Amino acid sequence: MPSQINSPAKQPFLGDGLDPVRFEVIRNALVAITEEMSATLRRAAYSTNIKTRGDFSCAFFDRQCRAVAQAFAQPSHLGSLAHIVPRSIEKYGADNLRDGDSLLTNDPFTGGVHLNDITLITPLYYQQELFGFMANIAHHVDVGGGAPGSIGISTEIYQEGLIIPPILFVRDGVIEDNVFNLIRSNFRGVHEISGDFRAQTAANRLGARRMQELLGKYGAQELRSYMDALLDYTERRAAQEFSQFPDGSYSAESWMDGDGVTDEPIRFTMTVHIDQGKLAVDLSECDPQRGSPTNATFSQTYSAIVYVLKCLLSPDLPVNDGLYRLVDIRTRPGTIVHAQHPAAVAAGWEVAVNLCDLMFKALAPAMPERVVACGKGIMCNLAFGGSHPETGEYFTYYETIAGGYGATIRNDGMDAVQAHFQNTENAPVEETEYHYPVRILRYEMIDDSEGAGEHRGGMGVRRDYTFPGHQPSFSILSDRADFPPWGLFGGGEARPAKYILNPDGEARELPSKITFTVKKDEVLSVQTPGGGGCGDPTTRKPEQVAADVAEGRISLQRAQDVYRVAVDPDTLELDAAATARLRG
Amino acid sequence: MTTFRLGIDIGGTFTDGALVDEATGELSIIKVPTTPGNPADGFMEAVGRAQRDASIDPSSFSLLVHATTIATNALITGTFGRVGLITTEGFRDVLEIGYQIRPRLYDIFQSKPTPLVSRRWSYGIPERLDARGQVLKPLDEHALRIALGEMKAGGIEAVVICFLHSYINPVHEQRAAEIVREVFPDAYLSVSSEVCPEFREFPRASTAAVNAAVMPIVSRYVDDLQSRLTRLGSHAPFYIMQSNGGVMNADAARAKPVYMVESGPAAGVIAAGALAQAQGHRNVISFDMGGTTAKVGLVIDGQPTLSTEYEVGSQTITPMGEGKGSGYPVRTQVIDLVEVGAGGGSLAWIDAGGSLRVGPSSAGAVPGPVCYGQGGAQPTLTDTNLVLGRLDPDFFLGGELKLDAAAARAALQEQIAQPLGMELLDCADGVLEIANANMMAAMRLISVQRGYDPREFVLVAFGGAGPLHANALADALGLPTVLIPPAPGVASAVGLLMTDIKHEFVATRRELLAEVSPQELGATFADFEQRASALLATERKDWLSISLVRHLELRYRGQSHELQVVLPAGDLTDAELQRAHGQFEEAHKRAYGYIAPEDPVELVNLRFTAIGKLPKLARKEFEQGSGDPSQAVKGTRQLWFRGKGEEIECVVYDRYRLRGGDTLQGPALVEEMDSNTVILPGYGARVDEHGNLVISRA
Repeated sequence: MPSQINSPAKQPFLGDGLDPVRFEVIRNALVAITEEMSATLRRAAYSTNIKTRGDFSCAFFDRQCRAVAQAFAQPSHLGSLAHIVPRSIEKYGADNLRDGDSLLTNDPFTGGVHLNDITLITPLYYQQELFGFMANIAHHVDVGGGAPGSIGISTEIYQEGLIIPPILFVRDGVIEDNVFNLIRSNFRGVHEISGDFRAQTAANRLGARRMQELLGKYGAQELRSYMDALLDYTERRAAQEFSQFPDGSYSAESWMDGDGVTDEPIRFTMTVHIDQGKLAVDLSECDPQRGSPTNATFSQTYSAIVYVLKCLLSPDLPVNDGLYRLVDIRTRPGTIVHAQHPAAVAAGWEVAVNLCDLMFKALAPAMPERVVACGKGIMCNLAFGGSHPETGEYFTYYETIAGGYGATIRNDGMDAVQAHFQNTENAPVEETEYHYPVRILRYEMIDDSEGAGEHRGGMGVRRDYTFPGHQPSFSILSDRADFPPWGLFGGGEARPAKYILNPDGEARELPSKITFTVKKDEVLSVQTPGGGGCGDPTTRKPEQVAADVAEGRISLQRAQDVYRVAVDPDTLELDAAATARLRG
Repeated sequence: MTTFRLGIDIGGTFTDGALVDEATGELSIIKVPTTPGNPADGFMEAVGRAQRDASIDPSSFSLLVHATTIATNALITGTFGRVGLITTEGFRDVLEIGYQIRPRLYDIFQSKPTPLVSRRWSYGIPERLDARGQVLKPLDEHALRIALGEMKAGGIEAVVICFLHSYINPVHEQRAAEIVREVFPDAYLSVSSEVCPEFREFPRASTAAVNAAVMPIVSRYVDDLQSRLTRLGSHAPFYIMQSNGGVMNADAARAKPVYMVESGPAAGVIAAGALAQAQGHRNVISFDMGGTTAKVGLVIDGQPTLSTEYEVGSQTITPMGEGKGSGYPVRTQVIDLVEVGAGGGSLAWIDAGGSLRVGPSSAGAVPGPVCYGQGGAQPTLTDTNLVLGRLDPDFFLGGELKLDAAAARAALQEQIAQPLGMELLDCADGVLEIANANMMAAMRLISVQRGYDPREFVLVAFGGAGPLHANALADALGLPTVLIPPAPGVASAVGLLMTDIKHEFVATRRELLAEVSPQELGATFADFEQRASALLATERKDWLSISLVRHLELRYRGQSHELQVVLPAGDLTDAELQRAHGQFEEAHKRAYGYIAPEDPVELVNLRFTAIGKLPKLARKEFEQGSGDPSQAVKGTRQLWFRGKGEEIECVVYDRYRLRGGDTLQGPALVEEMDSNTVILPGYGARVDEHGNLVISRA
């Protein structure tokens, strides 16, 4: 429920000459345009990752490259576009663009993220004058490089695929064949990517047309003054909410498993400073960057922090430059959260998702009613590829798997969902088995994987793969095999991730980051963590524990040992007397 | 003997009835309170009222059609049956994992919807097919029998069966169904390959599970209604509205209740389509605005557009997909509606940044708008319309409720106008404009975003509040014509009497369109046709004219969203399939703005609809007048219009005294019991031969 202020104010908020009605109408129109772009991109795309899993976002920027309106399918893109667009335009030069052109880029070190996320930027002109930019970013399944899906154990960026600096991809409304051919020769799975690039182009074209209509109605000058007002409005509202946060400095640390090249864990430390409504996030003490794919660009770090801020603020607060202005993130270039060229960055989102959980952890003492325990805490990037055993065609497949969400002081964490800024859908087993030479043997929640608590964390998920008749390359870029998700306020840790080869035979645990060949008849079991619990598990309502036992989520033994609740093994009903004895 | 058709639509507050004399087409309206405890009571009360009002014998009903939200309510309130799931070993959590997403991106406190099947009663049974339907592992019947024994002992009422890849080969599901019938004959049974034989295991399992969950309650409800109608002495055919805009008989409703989850709203779109079609308009935007929301639907070439991406009980799903996963997906066809939180009760408020907002929160029926004087303190859209002179405080619901205009003005003045530094009427007008902008966005979503130009459509507006806003919306979007039916408040009940019997079939068959054999395709459709004939054989044959619609759902290979094209009647040939290819490209161009001629087109689903057309009603001849509406003038009122800067005197007409052929000049207001129609300056209205108000630019 948005906060409502209906008390008389001394003066109108919006500034002179601005009509509050027109303001609201324009505000909604701008968001509707980016949403319509997104609907177009999603429906027209080819790859499962964009279409079904929704791995993209769209936005409109003004001519100063300030984000004005954005529509996210994936909040991971929150801060990404906000950096990619201004840096790319600066590098290419706005004066070198003309009507009908579009720039393409995925350069991690020009404000970008990892190579798979490719951005298309289209300048928008009105009456021969530059008015702004339409932009979208989409995750392509493969951009070349050392391993299928472009996720592998790389040590520098050059191994991860094709680096595209801001270049002209569309001229006069037509895709540049030479560039497109170069791209297609470098990416695995040529068919899908053509459709995906066309969808990205279609989305910007549509957005530009809608903006032209809006401009036709209000004129450039008028629209600009309302856009300025919109950014100020957002800033004003965000600042007002920040001012309710308690002053202080709040620190916490977290770890990642080894980086895929070495087993040495990676350490993150964060201090959030809140001072009279000014909020700064200090990450300068995080570990130096690694010669491995586990590095985040500053944009990725920024996206993580903005995601958490958005969770702390009113749900209807717009996301635009007005919010970004208030975000103060301090990093040291050359660290794991602000990687410098030529760092590999394929697993940068694993770093970023860790930062989300870390920030909630840091803020827990300051605002216990607004935070959540650590969730599955991983993206869980999985990719496999090779030659199709029947057609001989090269295939590549990418997906991520859900796990538990963290508990809060109000409620249990959700079972089997994606983590924080990640909200990609699963691909149906029937669709995956139809299109790719793989068999999924199991896709279920893992019993006893929740972090115990008065409110328990969500359950992790297990997905088992086997590859009849061939031996593909398989990459795992994930985490949390060694550092399980934590609980809060007395809540327990969740079961960590496990990556197991042949779980029902001669089982062998794999590290959380590896590229290897799956041999004939081998089974790979990816088991994601649960979410951390919140509050003392022995205060959980016994009926809730008994219900979880009856549903096989929690074992009898665990109920007894951890929650101190007795359940009758035959009826699966609560044994109140025995529970009372256990809880003493 | 005079015979009558009766349509009954149960809403949240009122149960609406429309009684039509078959011979004359004369319409009478019934409104009784809804009885949430047992909606059948309200239904029977409406039937009784219809009888008494028209002094007719129960045996003179020739047709009863009913729209109900009983299935949806059961799902939303969690009062559905106890369901057990039989699925493939390794996949027992298929329903709970769902899409593996969170419905809201930034809400750390959310929960998934209550699972339809408790995990305790979800069984993975050893069996397996591959993606081409080959059996890899036979069905373990022993394990199945043990599971069923436990379910039976555990008090399970309904069993849903969904195995992987069953859409392509239902052999294991069919065998499992046999065993269920043998060892657990009392259980309701829902088999995924029968209810929804489409690929993608989660939506298919969910559809079958929704079906199973509401089977017990719907069966009991339908049984109850039928026996009460029989006791009353009515033997008229009894039909229930489906989400796809067709009706089905009681047996079909018992077997596939998942088809009626969106029973109510569908009737309004049908009504809008039928009304406009009678005037020769084939393309319609239907606009149904009530107390809490506005629903917008689309009729293309006489047919309501349908969607198969629907979730029961979900929050509104935004174009970004936010909200997805908050309900229970069903893959039956549902009339495509876009719903926005803009209704008479929507609240006007100022947010923390100083922006004027309208909705989505609503004052609802309780406490209601400020002007109702029932405790509402925050100004609503209804209050705003009152302040602007669009409602008559003494003639609301025909005078049943006196409105407190002073209180509405004070609330709007103090809570909105003053803080924003606006004049009261300017501010009220702004509230209206923002609400209209929200509804326009919904109209754009369903038209422009689907590739249709709203300027080629007629707007049919109904619901209590629709006619107040329709003209302004049409003006802003450039729709040339607005049609307001008589008794707009009960248009949905009237729509029930304009429907046909529908049976739907679907099969997934993924192959390249160029390689599809027309003969094999024809054989599948012939099989559907046979099954449809068997279903329609139980209907009154002297009534029905049967028509069959064949759709193909196509996509470029590699895409995962299909577009529908219609196949013409008759034998299928290669030429027909080539035409389908062309139609697909056209649809793709319209929806996405491009085609990809180098990419092969893939067939995904065959969809078949058998329509038993019910004889259409005679339409009552509306009394013709001289063209001069002066006999209908009630008086004049001061109304405020955007951009005019002052109040303008408007003529107020009594809708019941208007006659066919009368022409009205805007600005004007037409009042009737359940709604008011605003005609803007620069527009005029004509009363057509059926009593519709047809508004267009003067």
